[in-house]
Amino acid sequence: MLDVAQFADWLSRTSLSVSIQSHEWVIPTIQSIHIAAIGVVMASVFMIDLRVLGWAGRDQSLLETTGRFGPWLSGALCVLLGTGIFMIIGEPARELLAFSFWLKMLLIAIGTLIASVFQIALKRNEPYWEKSLHRWSVKSLAIVTFLIWVGIIILGRLIAYDNVWGSWSHAVRA
Amino acid sequence: MDIAGAISLVESSRVADAIRNSLYLFPLIESAHVLGLTMVFGTIAIIDLRLLGIASTRRSFRRIASDVLKWTWAAFALSVVTGSLMFITNANVYYHNFFFRAKMALLLLAGINMLIFEVTAARSVHRWDNDVKAPLAGRTAAALSLVLWIAIIFLGRWTGFTTTGRPHVNNEPADDINIENLLPK
Repeated sequence: MLDVAQFADWLSRTSLSVSIQSHEWVIPTIQSIHIAAIGVVMASVFMIDLRVLGWAGRDQSLLETTGRFGPWLSGALCVLLGTGIFMIIGEPARELLAFSFWLKMLLIAIGTLIASVFQIALKRNEPYWEKSLHRWSVKSLAIVTFLIWVGIIILGRLIAYDNVWGSWSHAVRA
Repeated sequence: MDIAGAISLVESSRVADAIRNSLYLFPLIESAHVLGLTMVFGTIAIIDLRLLGIASTRRSFRRIASDVLKWTWAAFALSVVTGSLMFITNANVYYHNFFFRAKMALLLLAGINMLIFEVTAARSVHRWDNDVKAPLAGRTAAALSLVLWIAIIFLGRWTGFTTTGRPHVNNEPADDINIENLLPK
């Protein structure tokens, strides 16, 4: 059976991990790029959600709005995946043994799934979605989506304070 | 009262004490700070990319500004409040930290940059509102703004790394063991 702690230990001995650990400026640099990319994701999700809610960009169709922000959202998510993997290689135990990390991964999967399904559905049947914007269910989906990304930010920061989860965190014992 | 006195006063305040003594408050305040600053950076980037003619070019500058800027200010307010709360928990250390000081200086420059934009390019916005690109003064302000805010993110992260006493990997050999310390006294 694959043991996460053993995997983290093995990863921390790889040459890439060792060289990241031996240069103190690498992790804060990668984290800063990660945070800037989160800014692009948050603003993109936010602008699409505001359009759905009818609070901004009403001179633009929903498809024009996702056309403007969708590619930036996907691009920034790729940067986050790359810098995220780099941080895991650099500090395997800090990330992989943290409860916050796995809960964050779950929320990212849900947030990305909602964004992808919504964009595909919108392209397939634009008139239906443009007409559905007044619906309570669509508006609440927009709010829930934004809150999921807010949760992802909080959990990302809590990786550094994983002891807040008490016995749920394995990072405390790492 | 001098600045050192003020710094010590806020650091010994009840609010600072409450945050320091809580397991959850500092991490949650820091999370709210990250939420605020990512929204500030992301929404400012929308404005700057519009001025540079890179994105949202089919919408007028004024429409985008009226959609976005109120949220930028709300997010900035959240960042200032949460940043101040983090500052008071360890005010003396932050105040003397190079990266913190550099960050404050760049925040000031970002503010001055914005004011210069307001009294130059923004004055004639009715003439270029629908153009793909803003005039040179507007594009310069936008490029400066992007550089400054990215630098502010980096300096903020470095402030955290150089003030919290983050544990370092200790490669030095352990101190020699003195047998007398191991014996019961």
